[in-house]
Amino acid sequence: MKKRLFSVVYMFVLTLVFTSIVSAVKVFNEEKIRTNQRVKLERIILKVLDIPVKEKTSDEALGRIYARRVKGVEVRDKPLYVGYAEDGRTIVGYAFPIGGSGFWGPIYGMVAVDPEAATILGIAFYRHSETPGLGARITEDWFTRQFQGLPLHPIEGDKKIFYLKPEGTGKARDELDAVTGATGTSRAVEAFVNRELDHFLRDLWGSVKKG
Amino acid sequence: MIKIDAGTLFFAAIFTNNILLTNFLGLCPFLAISREVRSSLGLGVAVVFVMTCTAVINYLVYYYLLLPLNLEHFRYIVFIVIIAAFVQLVEMTVERFFPALYYILGIFLPLITVNCAILGASLFLIIREYTLIQSLAYGAGSGIGWMVAIIAVGAIREKVQKSAKLPRGLEGPALTLIITGIMALAFMAFSGMIQIQ
Amino acid sequence: MPKPPTNAQIFMQGLWSDNPVLRQVLGICSTLAVTNLLINTLVMDAGLIFTVTMSSLTVSLLRKYTPMRIRMMAQTLIIASYVIIVDISIKAHLPDISEALGPYVGLIITNCIVMGRCEAFARNNPPWPSFLDGLAMSIGYSLVLLTIAVIREPLGFGTMFGFRVMPGGFTPWTVMIMAPGAFFTLGILVWILRAYFPQTAGEKKS
Repeated sequence: MKKRLFSVVYMFVLTLVFTSIVSAVKVFNEEKIRTNQRVKLERIILKVLDIPVKEKTSDEALGRIYARRVKGVEVRDKPLYVGYAEDGRTIVGYAFPIGGSGFWGPIYGMVAVDPEAATILGIAFYRHSETPGLGARITEDWFTRQFQGLPLHPIEGDKKIFYLKPEGTGKARDELDAVTGATGTSRAVEAFVNRELDHFLRDLWGSVKKG
Repeated sequence: MIKIDAGTLFFAAIFTNNILLTNFLGLCPFLAISREVRSSLGLGVAVVFVMTCTAVINYLVYYYLLLPLNLEHFRYIVFIVIIAAFVQLVEMTVERFFPALYYILGIFLPLITVNCAILGASLFLIIREYTLIQSLAYGAGSGIGWMVAIIAVGAIREKVQKSAKLPRGLEGPALTLIITGIMALAFMAFSGMIQIQ
Repeated sequence: MPKPPTNAQIFMQGLWSDNPVLRQVLGICSTLAVTNLLINTLVMDAGLIFTVTMSSLTVSLLRKYTPMRIRMMAQTLIIASYVIIVDISIKAHLPDISEALGPYVGLIITNCIVMGRCEAFARNNPPWPSFLDGLAMSIGYSLVLLTIAVIREPLGFGTMFGFRVMPGGFTPWTVMIMAPGAFFTLGILVWILRAYFPQTAGEKKS
């Protein structure tokens, strides 16, 4: 009986000690983790709004640029980021988060549109579980740059805002290159990005225009 | 968030996103056991059962206990403890009520606890933000996928080692790995069949 | 009872003659997945080395106090705690790599090597040799993984640590980025090792 009791007490004390150590490490690093996430988000928003930021900008400098040029608001409970020109008053675009299912897991990204919501200013994907070297290539510049200047319109019937076609075969302005070898991811991206853009134009743009 | 239907997810977990052939999980017992098809089958069934149940249990614990209490960073400890406890429970139940089954499966059960695939499935379903039904489908599918992979490779290995004259050094793990690689390539072909979206 | 190995011998055993991956073919599950990029492999290896050495050390320090019956639970708790610490640290200081590694850091817990060294060595041996054993085994393991990555990343991406190393016209072998590439690479490595450096009395499986 004594042995049993000792075992239980031992486990209990051991658990207490180790969970305390782990909790301490967590609390110690929490701030840094939160900062990392915030900085990452700010960097992405600035990028899609086409506000130039040098690669080596420190986190503080980035924070200052962000504070000057972007204002985060809420439209119908959804976040919206308004980008301003250097003068701080002229609106240069609107950025909003998008998300959907990729081939392997959820993909999260950010899209920016021009002040009239007539074209796309930029797009970026910042979280995904796609295969490195294949589906993961949606984060690469060559892929995201295709979206710049893409004309927007609410989806009527079969006419999507853009199509992802096999690399090099796209002819019309709305036919972009998919990622070769990543059919699943490309199809998924085509589906959810079209859906999110359409949703923005139909449901949110009205409220945004009103201010 | 994910709009895949559970049925498609189930089949994808077996074929296109096979937890062993695409995510590399569950290799250790695989290399040791896959010598005989019969033992592979026994181990496989046990894994399917444990994986499905722990996927569901860990889902519930994560979303209804850990997250609300802001303890999600403890999930590694909690998940593995739940898995270990569940396997222990299964072992005791099987030993008491199905002693014949216990003789066949007995030694495998402790092995299951350290099977990376079981913990892996639980971790993946959190990252991919699956719902409860999707987690169930994913857990079951992954388990079956693992079983299919281990039996297939085991069967090939049995045949090859019996009939072929192997170059020096190839026997054993090296051969298993190469066969697994070919099997992984073969399973990649399934991605044309299943579409997730 | 054979003479207990010296510390130097323990170290060399872990590194070469009893190399966990190539000789015992253990613990490849969790880390093989990240070997398609050298930087990811390096970070993962660092995490593993930390976990194995600290776990072995802790288990060894506590070995005289831990009751026999619950030693597996205690070991699991210790290992899991160190893994969480590694995970949090990587998330805080290397966020992009943390995203890329995903759940594989957490899977270090089930990595047979960590538990294996605790069971096979640390719980019966004094702290310093246990520390060395853990260190040697994990470094030996890491070297093999880095070797695989050195083959996979250049062939699959054309880069090493992100820097282009293959000539411009080289078409990457995409298969190397994906699962089969890892299996083939490791399989061939094990084959070569076993063919040209055979162990004398069969393969040791400690």
